[in-house]
Amino acid sequence: MRLKVLVLKEWAELFRIKMVLFGCTFMPLFMGGFAGYMVWQGRGLPPEGQAALFNAALLYFLILPVMIPVTLAVYSVVGEKEQGTLEPLLATPLSDLELFLGKSIVAVVPAVLLTWGVFGLFLIFASQVIPGGVPEGVLSLPWLLSIFALSPLMALFAALVAMIISSRSTDSRAAYQFAGLAVVPSLVPLIVYSARLTAVDLKFVGIEGGILLVLNAVLLFLGVKIFQREEILIRWK
Amino acid sequence: MGGGASPLICTEGLTRYFGTRPAVVELTMEVRAGEVLGLLGPNGAGKTTTVRMLAGLLAPSAGEAVVAGHSVTKEPSKVRPNVGVVPENPGFYKRLTARQNLRFFAELYGVRDPHRIAETLALVGLAPRADEPVATLSKGLRQRLALARALIHDPPVLLLDEPTSGLDPEAAKEVRELLAELSLAHRAILLCTHNLSEAERLCHRIAVLKTKLIALGSPSELKERLFGRRVVVTLANPRPELPSALGFPFVRGASLDGNKLFVAVEEPERHNPLLVRRLVELGAEILYVTEEERTLEEVYLELVEGGNAA
Repeated sequence: MRLKVLVLKEWAELFRIKMVLFGCTFMPLFMGGFAGYMVWQGRGLPPEGQAALFNAALLYFLILPVMIPVTLAVYSVVGEKEQGTLEPLLATPLSDLELFLGKSIVAVVPAVLLTWGVFGLFLIFASQVIPGGVPEGVLSLPWLLSIFALSPLMALFAALVAMIISSRSTDSRAAYQFAGLAVVPSLVPLIVYSARLTAVDLKFVGIEGGILLVLNAVLLFLGVKIFQREEILIRWK
Repeated sequence: MGGGASPLICTEGLTRYFGTRPAVVELTMEVRAGEVLGLLGPNGAGKTTTVRMLAGLLAPSAGEAVVAGHSVTKEPSKVRPNVGVVPENPGFYKRLTARQNLRFFAELYGVRDPHRIAETLALVGLAPRADEPVATLSKGLRQRLALARALIHDPPVLLLDEPTSGLDPEAAKEVRELLAELSLAHRAILLCTHNLSEAERLCHRIAVLKTKLIALGSPSELKERLFGRRVVVTLANPRPELPSALGFPFVRGASLDGNKLFVAVEEPERHNPLLVRRLVELGAEILYVTEEERTLEEVYLELVEGGNAA
């Protein structure tokens, strides 16, 4: 119940901030638009070429879930510092776990929904502009699992890293800068995918998903350990 | 204040260090239901740290505090729902309205009564501005909102860290009036303040903190303990021999300053008639007899700067 209250308040507040709204919607629109442009450019290519372009375009949808949460997660922590709302918030019965988890959810859910939404728009666009529709075999089970199962795990990873960095940082600008590092580890699978191109298989997705699950569990544990009200009150001046 | 009321705040040797620096050392005190205890002290004296420990936000390094029947060391999560806090800097979500801010905190405290938010806004006089973003509210109105937030779950204990700091005199007066009303309910209120006249007006007892507790008592007790009681006799014909000519065992000292004779006595209520009679016998022409009024400021400065413990 308290978790839901926190999440709804965060969204009510975050979506009133133009810069945050702009930051969250620009990247999906830009990347989705760029992916669409790529497949539109290759519409005259033979099917193999179109498939290769389509695969490359899909990679953008693995970058999105790690980019969107960083802005939201950093602001949801830094915003509390800047507005001086942290002490009254910590004085409520909200537990450290609820606080940390709630702020992570605030960042993850919009990131995942935006990624899926833009991915859906991309598919509709691609099916319209490519003669014969989406190339056969491109939207394989491993790719769909990557988009629909890995992207939430990636978004959670990025949000947790951003939250941990923000909660340890004593300066909001530094928090924003360092939290950008949350994206770096998430680029590893993209590099692997790029190198293997169409050879995205279930085994790879499974391994990647497993690693992310373990990493997220460790980060959540560490985050809650670090995100203690006493530490925050003393450190955040 | 009911003298027999149970203590809602009880500390025993409460101590907090930050690294090797002591913030609060061996604080022992209690605040009873219906009582307002003023916590005075210079900057860095440990007032905010005390409030945070009592709110279950900071763990003590040593000692214990029991707030509303719950230990701050063993069960801080049970302390928090029983405490309303107005922190030194009462921040709000500025893009949200006063009502949205209050609703958020009400829900976190598990307040189910749908009328409670409107009632609390009305109590602090914020109902007409409730649906305006907090960013548009003046500092005085935000301070009222901070009080509303502290009261929204109707806690038995209120911890107020300089609730009138930075307010203009009119806004400060309004907040003080509100605090006076709140103290009538059976709450224990700990009020940290630098405003000594505010403390004198609102607080039943005063604790002076300078890392350690250096004095605790009602304002009149502290004045008496520190300065004793002095009668001021204004004379039409002051004569230098009068102070030494009084000759009563209850007179602890006397001095003449201009046409004012200052006489330290134990109980003016009992001794003044004898004193006046004696002065008349000595030929003094008395214009007025009053008891010297010491201010809490004098007491505070004597304690904090003079190093006296009362």
